Amino acid sequence: MSGESITLGELERDALTEIVNIGVSRAASSLRKMIGDQVLLSVPSIEVVSQRRAARLISEREITDLVAVRQDFSGPFSGRALLIFPETNSLELVHAVTGGDVAIEDLVEMESEALCETGNIILNACLATMANMLKRSLTMTLPEVLRGSSASLFDVTAETSEKSLVLFLYIDFAVRSRDIRGYIAMIMDLPSLEILKDLLDEFIARVVGDDA
Amino acid sequence: MVTPRNFGSVSAAAGASGTWDWDIRREILHIDEHFADLYGLQPEAARAGLPTSIFFQAIHPDDRPRIRIAVAGLLAGAELFAKDFRIVTAAGAVLWMHGRGHCHLSDNDEPLRFTGLLVDITERKRAEEKLRIAQSAGGIGSFEYIDGFATVTVSGEFCRLLGLHPAPVLPVQTINGVLLDDTAPLVPGPGDTRIPESVDAEFRIARSDDGEERWIARRGEIIHEGAGFRLVGVIYDVTAAKRQEAELREWSDRLESRVAEEVAIRQQAEEALRQAQKMEAVGQLTGGIAHDFNNLLMAVMSSLTLLRKRLPADPATDRLLDSAMQGAERGAALTQRMLAFARRQDLTSERVDISALVTGMRELVERTLGPAWTLNLLFDENLPFVLADSNQLEMAVLNLAVNARDAMPQGGTIIVSARLCHDGSARHVRLRPEPYIALSVIDHGEGMDEITLARATEPFFTTKGVGKGTGLGLSMIHGLAEQLGGGFTLHSVLGEGTEATLLLPVASAGSLPVKAQQTPADIVADLPSLKILAVDDDGLILMNTVALLEDLGHEVLEAGSGQEALELIGENPDLNLLITDQAMPKMTGTQLADLVTLEHANLPIILASGYSELPEGCQPRIVRLGKPFTQEMLEQAIIQAMRSAAQPA
Repeated sequence: MSGESITLGELERDALTEIVNIGVSRAASSLRKMIGDQVLLSVPSIEVVSQRRAARLISEREITDLVAVRQDFSGPFSGRALLIFPETNSLELVHAVTGGDVAIEDLVEMESEALCETGNIILNACLATMANMLKRSLTMTLPEVLRGSSASLFDVTAETSEKSLVLFLYIDFAVRSRDIRGYIAMIMDLPSLEILKDLLDEFIARVVGDDA
Repeated sequence: MVTPRNFGSVSAAAGASGTWDWDIRREILHIDEHFADLYGLQPEAARAGLPTSIFFQAIHPDDRPRIRIAVAGLLAGAELFAKDFRIVTAAGAVLWMHGRGHCHLSDNDEPLRFTGLLVDITERKRAEEKLRIAQSAGGIGSFEYIDGFATVTVSGEFCRLLGLHPAPVLPVQTINGVLLDDTAPLVPGPGDTRIPESVDAEFRIARSDDGEERWIARRGEIIHEGAGFRLVGVIYDVTAAKRQEAELREWSDRLESRVAEEVAIRQQAEEALRQAQKMEAVGQLTGGIAHDFNNLLMAVMSSLTLLRKRLPADPATDRLLDSAMQGAERGAALTQRMLAFARRQDLTSERVDISALVTGMRELVERTLGPAWTLNLLFDENLPFVLADSNQLEMAVLNLAVNARDAMPQGGTIIVSARLCHDGSARHVRLRPEPYIALSVIDHGEGMDEITLARATEPFFTTKGVGKGTGLGLSMIHGLAEQLGGGFTLHSVLGEGTEATLLLPVASAGSLPVKAQQTPADIVADLPSLKILAVDDDGLILMNTVALLEDLGHEVLEAGSGQEALELIGENPDLNLLITDQAMPKMTGTQLADLVTLEHANLPIILASGYSELPEGCQPRIVRLGKPFTQEMLEQAIIQAMRSAAQPA
């Protein structure tokens, strides 16, 4: 783990992983209902890294350009959530979601729409679960599709200060015989991250009680 | 897998491991007897149902918070529970357990039950620990790929070896992205359904984090499963071995190039040797021809001498005799040059001041060149003397100057320079690392191409029109330089000019001007009649020599070979002098002289030869007579021989 991830303690990381896991499980359940095939969602690996590092983490894995679904959130802590796919993957995902009945030409047409919908399900599940588990409420904007390299994706969204950090969740979407994988990234500035940390501590105190 | 499973069958198959069933809505925990056994609980009480807090009771305090958080996630709707943690048994033993469970949801995604299986993995943990240590200590990264999937399960060391951010699972594309050669993938992609033939391979990669080029070896096995396969293997860094291999290859390549270089040098040396051998052969041939020619000229010259004496004085015949004699003398001069090339001419060796010599002949050279050419003399000051033959040296300078003139038909400046060269070996391969004087004649004329330059010192090679040159000039100078213990170099660039340089050894301070023995001019031709034995294998020469001797008033015996001569000496004890040719078949003049000396140590001997070099071991008392000789030279040699016999050293 990189030195930048010291912002979160081990238990805090566990707690956040678990919370996101709940959200991802819900999203997977929804996806499974949509795709009707075996979907394997890995337990998310969580890191708090700089935007530059986040961009490298993805570019290390993905050679092609990327497609991202973006939703901004605000509340006690605010930021931006991204669901990122390799571009070559997005049609596969849309194809899987639409059940293979739709012709390829039509797929391209409805790709953005379908991606927005898929992104909304997954991001909503994660954010809503986080809000719920941390006993706070978050408001979210409508999803929006972005395209570009990993660097441009993170630069595009880097309107906050240079020091803004990324809560980076890597989730492997493995669907047998389909090359589908994706990443979830939450970009938060330091004050938001501090608040998230406090809220996680509250959650841990609640769950662990005297054992902590 | 996330799909709901038949819980009962799973736990039955697991055997001794414990199972649990957590009723979320009623908050009751059911556990089986094995679970109860591990936790040190009464099976009866366990079957009846327990408060859910019991689940955490036996968990090691250090692991408990983490497990509480995970369970909280499950109860809130997370699907999967998969954790390793320690429990402390009633007996106090610490065991590693793997808890695997999942949440059963209602149709509305409401969590209903949390069921799972608890397996003792203490042994596995130890094995894993050993494996982890083996991997990190050995620098070995492991991977497992199931065909059809886009991802690969990898170890931390695997990621480190490729310079990737450590992750338990990596996309196939990420792994193959580090490859520098696109010949074969490190891990086959999901579209690649062909089963690789072998897992053993080596790959050149650029490490993702620092971009360093490394070599990675892959080893492993392909495990067939139905129509598909699993690829299980390891990778490790073989860069050091590869580098050594490359170094070794480079060494062997370098060795090859060095061998090629040496062969080239050798070929060059062989070429130089061949050239030298050719020159030597040409020299031998030239020397041989000149020698024979010398003999013939001798016959002509001595016959002319005698003829003039015997014919009454008549201007008409005298003119004819003069021109015949001049022709023969010019022929003799030519043979001298040929012998010079063959390094067989007679040379005097004296201390010569080069600058004085060249300055002294300036007028001669300028007159020879003509008005269109300017002579420019450049000499270092205080040049040491050289050991050379001044007459030959003058001829060489004149010859070179004429060549320079001919190279500049429109006129120009000819430079004659003399410089001290401290290390002769740097200038010419045959010279020693001692001081030499470089005497150069430089023109800015036509120059020579390489082919002409290579042949320039061959005798009879000439670029001048037929009849304009003998082709002996440069070869003679070459021979002269070598006979003097020096060297001759020619540098020429076509269209730019030529620099011809004679390298002459510097005379050491102690060396005296050594002149060849010369007959004192003041010897009076006052000899009694002698009984002389003349030996020559060539009848014509013998006849002439005899005629010359008889003309001088001597009694002459003739012998055509050394053997014949020995017999005659035995028969004539009153013999006064022996005159023998040097070059004879079977017995040479010196060999004959040695045999004669055994019996008649005081018999004066004259050795007639066209060669300047006498074989080693030649007796010092023997008087040498150069061929072709005149009657006068013959007479003086006889006087010298008789004198040295009369006054033994």
